[in-house]
Amino acid sequence: MMNTRHVWAVARKELHHILRDPGTFILVLLTPTLLLLFFAYALTTDIRHVNIAVLDYDRSPASRAFVQQITAGEDLDLYAQVGSFEELDTLLVHGKIKAALIIGPDFSRDLMRLQGTPIQVVIDGTEPESGNFAVDHIARRAETFVTETLGRQLQGMGLEAASLSPLDIRVRAWFNPGLKPRNDIIPGMISMVLGVPALSVALALAREREHGTLEQLMATPIGRAELLLGKIIPYLLVGLFNVLFIPALAIAWFHISLNGSFLLFFLLSAVFLFAILSMGILLGVFMRTQAAALALSFLLIFYPGFFLTGIFFPLASMPEEVRLEAMFLPGTPYAAITRAIFLPGSGLEVVWPYAVMLLFQGVVFTGLAALFFRKKL
Amino acid sequence: MAVISLRNLTRDFKTTRAVDGLTLDIQAGELFGLVGPDGAGKTTTLRLLAGLLDITAGEAQVLKYDLKTQAERVKKHIGYMAQRFSLYSELSVDENLAFFAEIYDVPREARPERTAHLLEFAGLTEFRERRAGQLSGGMQKKLALACTLIHQPEILLLDEPTTGVDPIARREFWNILTDLHLDGATIVVSTPYMDEADRCSRVGLMYEGKLAACAPPREILRQLGAEVIEVHPADWRAARGLIAALEGVREVQTYGEALHVLVEAGTGAKRLREIEKTLKKHNLACNNIRLAPPRMEEAFISMIRELTEETAQGDPHVPRP
Repeated sequence: MMNTRHVWAVARKELHHILRDPGTFILVLLTPTLLLLFFAYALTTDIRHVNIAVLDYDRSPASRAFVQQITAGEDLDLYAQVGSFEELDTLLVHGKIKAALIIGPDFSRDLMRLQGTPIQVVIDGTEPESGNFAVDHIARRAETFVTETLGRQLQGMGLEAASLSPLDIRVRAWFNPGLKPRNDIIPGMISMVLGVPALSVALALAREREHGTLEQLMATPIGRAELLLGKIIPYLLVGLFNVLFIPALAIAWFHISLNGSFLLFFLLSAVFLFAILSMGILLGVFMRTQAAALALSFLLIFYPGFFLTGIFFPLASMPEEVRLEAMFLPGTPYAAITRAIFLPGSGLEVVWPYAVMLLFQGVVFTGLAALFFRKKL
Repeated sequence: MAVISLRNLTRDFKTTRAVDGLTLDIQAGELFGLVGPDGAGKTTTLRLLAGLLDITAGEAQVLKYDLKTQAERVKKHIGYMAQRFSLYSELSVDENLAFFAEIYDVPREARPERTAHLLEFAGLTEFRERRAGQLSGGMQKKLALACTLIHQPEILLLDEPTTGVDPIARREFWNILTDLHLDGATIVVSTPYMDEADRCSRVGLMYEGKLAACAPPREILRQLGAEVIEVHPADWRAARGLIAALEGVREVQTYGEALHVLVEAGTGAKRLREIEKTLKKHNLACNNIRLAPPRMEEAFISMIRELTEETAQGDPHVPRP
């Protein structure tokens, strides 16, 4: 029979350890937050001040106005106006510019005749992020420029610019200027950084093994489930603290909006923590040293968190078998839950299958841990 | 009444047989010392008794429980102290005791008195707020002992409790054990120190997983059948060879610059004179020479030497000492 006093004795002892050992304290309480900040900045920092060069064969007022339009603002900086293709080449090779804009000799003529106006953009393929950004940006500004110029011209001809707008609007949808990647990534990221307590619990069991305190515990009449539960509970509490703190940080710092119910998010986070901590303790049962527990936790908690849970790569793009495997990692359903609650503000009626999945995982992992954990050296 | 009863107890690890057919009965109230060189199987034996290892073969009964099937049930009746310090460094002395009191289901009303008594007993009363990790080695051992006593176990299993502790702390620790022994506790203690074996009511000498001898210390010394002549020559290297070659000398053990010469019991006085004569003949000065009763240490070394020689005879590759 499970004795709750034994469970609580182990849990209290473990809490003391967390609070008194600076290393553990930092790992458990501060690392998730720091990780979130780090990832959020590393992965979503907006690209700005990309250097470009312009090769203008037209040299007309229209082309100058066009260049001015494109390099206005902080996104693209005009590094140089060059006179030949060779100069462009040199700048690109030396990495001085990430992209180059080439304006043909008939630019203003074509523009006035309402013909297709070819513009060539060359990008540095070694850094496609910046290059693509430049292309997107140039294309977007070109649209604006062309519409405005044409609009003025049409007005001069007595026509309403609005009559051309359907075409423009459709094109603009391509370059949705309001798209903020953080909104999409951070909720998924939360599910990953909350994996840290699982790592700690795996380490905690391995640490007791290394320090010999597990030997002493095994010599006592404490039940296996009592010991494992007592180990999980403190990390669950600390994890819940993180669940309160991290979304608050995401909202205040990154201006992410939580559209769904916070209470629902909190409760389902508790279920997630139960699942991932059970997975952590299962790892701890098998690993003899903290080093091994750490390595395996990274392999099974964090790497799949990156690649399989759909945070960065859509699950839909994965083969069926991998998708199934991914579903057995607590991070996958939880990433779906956080996104659903944060972005569209979905309720339990939408996310309940994921919640059931998490609960199931927790029970299976704890069961396996209790099954394989023997009070023998 | 035997509280521990072992019949051909055997435990194998991957490549070694750590405990090899141990047969032994330990009676209630004994202070049983398990001695032997490193790797003899002492720790494995104690871990088996504590239910921490599976039994490979043989029978083991502790109290009325069969260790093969009821290892969990025996745990609340024994107190086991591992060789390494295995308490929680971040917890204070008090918290460690409280933790084990909870795990062992010590009744709440009994705790304050028992804790106070154990702290007093272990001399830790004034350190009760201190974290276990900040205690000295000797105090840590005493705290560990106090933690294994909190549930008043019927049997105490102590694995080298005084290894790595200074001589004064060692003596204090043994005074505590003696008190417990006098109170009627059954204690099984392993130790590499022979002076500690002297304080046990019975000693089992383990060698390569087997029990090579098992008797009260006095009996072991009697079985040795030897007297010891302590010689303090000025040049012990030269003296050693001369004395070893003398008739009736069983063996010469070196202790620093002193030589302990084992001779047949009853021939001590005669051999002493012969040694003096030989040293004089070879112009070797001798600071001191005296007849002394044999101690456990000499008996132990002598036995191990005999056992090593027996083993070596079966294996021509091992050079004989």
